[in-house]
Amino acid sequence: MSANAEAPGRAAADRALGSARRSRWLRKLYKQRYLQVMALLGVAWMIIFNYIPMYWIQIAFKDFDIILPMSQAPWAGFEHFKEFLTDDNLYPVIRNTLGMSLIKLVVGFPLPIVFALLLNEVRSIRFKKSIQTISYLPHFLSWVILGGILATWLADVGIVNKVLMALGFIDEPITYLAEPNYFWAIAVGSDIWKELGWSAIIYLAAISSVSPELYEAATIDGAGRFQKMRSITLPCIKGTIAILFILAVSGLLSSNFDQILVLRNALNESTSNVIDVYVYQVGIADGRYSYSAAVGLLKSIIALGLLIGANFVTKRLNDTSLF
Amino acid sequence: MGTKRKWITSLLAATAALSLAACSSGGNNAASGNSASSGGGSPDASSSTPAATTTASASASPQASASGDGDQPAWQADTSPITFDWYINFSWFNSKWGDDAVAKYVTKKTGVSLNFVVPAGNEAEKLNTMMASGSLPDFITLDANDVAVRKMINGKLVLPLNELADQYDAYFYKATDPAKVGWFTQPDGNIYGYPDASSSPADYEKYGSNFASNQTFEVRKDMYEALGKPDMSTPEGFLNALKLAKEKFPDVDGQPLIPLGLHEFTDNGNYSLEGYLQNFLAIPQQKDGKLYDGRQDPEYLKWLKTLRKANEMGLLSKDIFIDKRPQMEEKMAQGRYFAMLYQRSDFTTQNLSLYQQDPNKVYIAIDGPANGNHDKPTLDGPGISGWTVTLISKNVKDKKRAISFLSYLISEEGEKDMFLGEKGVTYDTIDGKDQFLPEVVDLLNKDRTAFDQKYGASYKYWMLMDTNMNLQWAPPSVEPAKQLEDWTKGKTISMSEFKGIDPPPETKEGIAKSKNDRLWGKTLPKLLLAKSDEEFDNIFNKYLADRSDQDAIDAYRQGAYEANIKKLEALNK
Repeated sequence: MSANAEAPGRAAADRALGSARRSRWLRKLYKQRYLQVMALLGVAWMIIFNYIPMYWIQIAFKDFDIILPMSQAPWAGFEHFKEFLTDDNLYPVIRNTLGMSLIKLVVGFPLPIVFALLLNEVRSIRFKKSIQTISYLPHFLSWVILGGILATWLADVGIVNKVLMALGFIDEPITYLAEPNYFWAIAVGSDIWKELGWSAIIYLAAISSVSPELYEAATIDGAGRFQKMRSITLPCIKGTIAILFILAVSGLLSSNFDQILVLRNALNESTSNVIDVYVYQVGIADGRYSYSAAVGLLKSIIALGLLIGANFVTKRLNDTSLF
Repeated sequence: MGTKRKWITSLLAATAALSLAACSSGGNNAASGNSASSGGGSPDASSSTPAATTTASASASPQASASGDGDQPAWQADTSPITFDWYINFSWFNSKWGDDAVAKYVTKKTGVSLNFVVPAGNEAEKLNTMMASGSLPDFITLDANDVAVRKMINGKLVLPLNELADQYDAYFYKATDPAKVGWFTQPDGNIYGYPDASSSPADYEKYGSNFASNQTFEVRKDMYEALGKPDMSTPEGFLNALKLAKEKFPDVDGQPLIPLGLHEFTDNGNYSLEGYLQNFLAIPQQKDGKLYDGRQDPEYLKWLKTLRKANEMGLLSKDIFIDKRPQMEEKMAQGRYFAMLYQRSDFTTQNLSLYQQDPNKVYIAIDGPANGNHDKPTLDGPGISGWTVTLISKNVKDKKRAISFLSYLISEEGEKDMFLGEKGVTYDTIDGKDQFLPEVVDLLNKDRTAFDQKYGASYKYWMLMDTNMNLQWAPPSVEPAKQLEDWTKGKTISMSEFKGIDPPPETKEGIAKSKNDRLWGKTLPKLLLAKSDEEFDNIFNKYLADRSDQDAIDAYRQGAYEANIKKLEALNK
């Protein structure tokens, strides 16, 4: 603590207080230096891979050719943005992207929460652990492999048709991947199946940090399992849910690129072409980097708007927010 | 304690939040082409550049005078070990330079080892990434008509072979064919890439009657014969044969028969159903010196409508729209297709395995779709434009060794080594003719994969193969490949003048063409799935109307075509 407490004037006192706070802050920083170094690695990674590349966003406003340095590329203004916004592909790719994302948000977002809540109620630790492991196992398979598996399962001679025909639900085998009508369901369904267990982990972690005293008190007051779930668990993990919801909303315009790329084909094209695939076709395969950078940038700006909007709404509704 | 944890968590949370927020821009970062280090994943690229600059500068200057008079191949002067990185722009290429007899022999002889770099997925993506990051490997082999060739030349990413030859290896001029050099010489007077599988007009005169095409229409022999060998060259006969096949053989080993097989559908259409089918219908690509759009030819549309009808009759399986090449190859090996419009060389392995199970189960070539006059097909035969070209990157490790190795591969000695291998090991002079040893031919005809692994001859390394020069050493074709090959003889024409006339992708015409190609890619399946001929016409007319800047594209192509014609005339003089 500072010794010159008798120094005259408020300003000096404030300064003293400030420096004291600062030195405490530095001391704390020094104490946790190893932890800070570990966090710094993450920050450095982010700067290198997410912030430095932003410098090249300017190619969205240029006519960039890969064999020339970017500085020599002529400026194109908003030419590429204009082209995308007047493109015939605009409507279908946005419809497909938003359609699948919204279904994912409505169905796929609450499911891991429900799953985590149910898992939390399982009494046998061994059973709980095995269910957890089995449910997040598919997460570790790449979409390239999973896509091949799905294509086999969903083929006209695949297991899905065999089961459904044996049960009498359908008479004729359906080539599911060839039908545009089924694509959204397949994409969303397989995505949920693959990621359900994995997404539940963060909720399980949040649940485990809920103080047991609350449950004990509720038990004494005679609360049942569902009452405890509704009145203790859910309110306690509200913050986690809100933050993940904000992030999910900001990702509305993104789609699971790997998944769509392996599952799409000439027949389901009308429902499977999403913004990311379109950017890939035009940008990477045709080599029009400026155009695809413009589309990507546009997408990012909308995502940022969605993020801020969702953040604002959740802040108003339940007082938790990302920033 | 509490505050401490909070501090750390908030820092971590900030990291997570920022990275997640930045993730949404990750899409365009990856697309920008500058993040090659993060996304492109070319481990070879980073390692080749530093080595390239040091060795190139070290070796170039002292030996610059060693070009000689061209009688002496330069590769003989230096046979110290060196490894070149060689990029092959085909994701299916899975050969490794190494354990086979030919690779060992050539490495022993010239000191050169190769490290092949092959794209894991989309070829254009990989090549663009390498160009953008300035990390092209020493050699680059890609389709001669690929627009990337012009891009690399215009961007000065590749070295002029003639300058290299002048400086280091005049033998290059002795080894190469002047006609091919003339055809591939660019407007700036330099030649940057040398072709393989190229046939000059002189070659056509000499070998033309034996020229085979890859484009064939195949049917499964046993089924076709069981149906009484129906005529499939008219729309009615075609539909009828598919229908009969499906009725008579609904299943192949418990799985449904696929009446008609095609190449895979891509974003830009289907190879089987464009030029391929038009060649069968003998639709000319030009009329009176003007390029002609075969897509609008009535004969072609009639056949597309026939396929539409086939789909209406349930004769087009959904599989053909979905399957990629690995699934197709699996189905071919099972003999699940009745008929196919599929390049014969793309399923030799599968056909061979069918043949070994039962010589009657193989696919044989028969007369396929024909036009109303029953004209002979005009299949895509060898031409001076060849198949691929090989270029030397400006980052090359050692210019002298690279050009001399290239000359060696092009020379008769190199061709012989790549085709026949080492004397006494894979070939010998038998009956006064240099040819493979009997057990080598035997393996070649029985199991190409094992042959490649063990011997690596017969142009396993085809990058600079001369498909005319090798005829003097080649063993006679055997069944089942022979029948397919023989069918195409006499039906091939050279289409060199129509090759490489598409506008470069970065130009206005090129952008419009990519767009139109994708539009066609979307239109084609719709045409086949149309419920009626009226719907077909509507979809097709909509496609014609929706194309952008077609006139400008046509004008560019016409100009390039005329330039090609002039070049060919100059060669013929």
